Amino acid sequence: MPAGTRNGEIRIVGVTKRFGDMAAVRDLTLTIPDKAYCCLLGPSGCGKTTILRMIAGHESPTTGEIRIGGEPVVGLSPVQRGTAMMFQSYALFPHRSVLDNVAFSLKLRGASKAERHRQARELLAKVRMERFADRLPAQLSGGQQQRVALARALITNPRVLLLDEPLSALDEYLRLRMRGELRRVQKELGITFIHVTHTQLEAIAVADLVVVMAQGAIEQAASAQEIFTAPRTAYVARFMGGQNVLSGTVERVADGHAIVVDEHGVSFSTAANGEEPVRGSRLVGSIRRDRISVSKAQGCATASGKVNSLLGEVHAIEYQGSYVKLTIERPSGEGFVANIIDEDFFRDPLDIGDSVLARWSARDVLILEGAADAGEASMDEAGGVLI
Amino acid sequence: MRHAAAGPRPWTFYVFASFFALFVLFLYGPMTVIYILSFQGPTGGLTFPMTGFSLRWFHALVAAERVGDIGGSFSRSIVLAVIVAVLTVVLSVTAGLGFRRRFPGSGVVFYLAIASLIMPGLFVGLGIAVGFQLLGLDIDWYTSALGAQLTWTLPYGLLIMFAVLGRFNRAYEEAATDLGATPWQRLREVVLPILLPGIIGVALFGFTLSYDEFPRTVLTAGTRNTLPLEVWAMTTNVTSPALFAVGTVTTIVSFIAIGVALISIAVIQRRRTRSSGEPI
Repeated sequence: MPAGTRNGEIRIVGVTKRFGDMAAVRDLTLTIPDKAYCCLLGPSGCGKTTILRMIAGHESPTTGEIRIGGEPVVGLSPVQRGTAMMFQSYALFPHRSVLDNVAFSLKLRGASKAERHRQARELLAKVRMERFADRLPAQLSGGQQQRVALARALITNPRVLLLDEPLSALDEYLRLRMRGELRRVQKELGITFIHVTHTQLEAIAVADLVVVMAQGAIEQAASAQEIFTAPRTAYVARFMGGQNVLSGTVERVADGHAIVVDEHGVSFSTAANGEEPVRGSRLVGSIRRDRISVSKAQGCATASGKVNSLLGEVHAIEYQGSYVKLTIERPSGEGFVANIIDEDFFRDPLDIGDSVLARWSARDVLILEGAADAGEASMDEAGGVLI
Repeated sequence: MRHAAAGPRPWTFYVFASFFALFVLFLYGPMTVIYILSFQGPTGGLTFPMTGFSLRWFHALVAAERVGDIGGSFSRSIVLAVIVAVLTVVLSVTAGLGFRRRFPGSGVVFYLAIASLIMPGLFVGLGIAVGFQLLGLDIDWYTSALGAQLTWTLPYGLLIMFAVLGRFNRAYEEAATDLGATPWQRLREVVLPILLPGIIGVALFGFTLSYDEFPRTVLTAGTRNTLPLEVWAMTTNVTSPALFAVGTVTTIVSFIAIGVALISIAVIQRRRTRSSGEPI
């Protein structure tokens, strides 16, 4: 039983994990509040699973400290920690029935058969699997196996549940259903959930706290809404999608606005709140895709060079139901995406190859930290952007 | 089973099919002859024609009619094969589990263990016999011959365990630990049951390799023969179909061992995949 407190707050302080010469996690500090649903999000190899396994006690940090509910837990067994893990492959024991899989932990603790089966049936009912109690794991579908794995993890009465890519083995339809169900179970139990995923939509759909990771470090840890609408770095902006990243040199500062121009003459302005941008310094900004208006370019010369606008050619048009995703080829070759509400788009439809002018407002431009090209390479492996 | 777009067979098909026919003929032809001739009539000899049909030569094996110590060598062989199978299972399973974690020198240890597969068995046996003599120990089937056979079965067992463990998902062990299992509980409740079909395979290999082992055993068994040694002796001094009867009986024993192993593996696999318990 978890010692004393039921507090599921997790503090990771200065944790580094090396495998040989490779640092999977580098000096990472993170606090996950009690009873939070936290998603660790990032491309494969970013260290998110390693963090999960260190919290679970299946790996030990090379340096640093992990506390759960205030107690240092490095060196303790998973049961002493009060954590339970749901494995990516579910790892249901193939030689035991569903009921015995769920009751396994109680059997190890010497509970009588009647008692452990009673408790296991209770949990199976909670995940709506009581009808399948006598089946073997191989006789269940992926979604059913996942529910059993969830029940088996919960029978230890953990204060923290760790989920390693819990939905990756399911088809699209089940994935959407199960993620809602995970959220429901988490609310019902009132315990901390930590969910590792590489899917942006999954993370922002369920999590209270989204932690975006890259190369063993945290890029940004914030609410889903903040991650999506106010990315801190160019990496997060690119990884989450939903944003266009622009960069350039500060040309002048006027009326508290910095005017930034890139090497192709595209310029944008942004309110210079906080410290004054220095003329000649590099600045990276992002503009939300759904805050861009696009119109047919009439006379390139007039529009070109205007602040907060961009000329280009329509490269792709994708109808998404409630909006149309318009990809405009920039002079630099990088795509610039505008999400146009369907009504607006179909009032005066554009075609591929049309010359267009994209415009936005200075107040929708966000200043980002870090290098402008951060995350460009990882986009491909992460399976692209979501909106 | 013809493919949908079945054209004429390529010529290679006929080459390989003929080869396979020859293979089957060479393997099963002589054996079938032996099985048939073991039922030779009471006055018949080592070759066709059959002069009748009788169980006389099987009877000759039991009643020690100057055909050698068939009963004794048979029981020694069975006991030895069981001991070899048990030791092979215990040692290869533990070694296989140990090798999952790379340790300094694990490569060297592995190749040292595997090397005995390519060493000429006769000389391994000779070396062991000479070694026992040097140490002033008597060679016997349950000491020197047992050791000699283990140099043959253990590397096999280890290789089979590597194949078995290669498909074993370590998440099972982590899940057991996560649910509160001690290392011993993890082994007993999770690892061994999941590996059981493979372990039965190792036992089967250990049994059958020992049961008909000749080169390593011939110089290490001492005065009391195992069955293959006894049969070998018989071929030089027994001129009756009783020799064939030995072949028939030993084949039946081998098939029983294989049958028991395969059936138990099939039962385990079926229990894990088929519907058990109440219908849904």
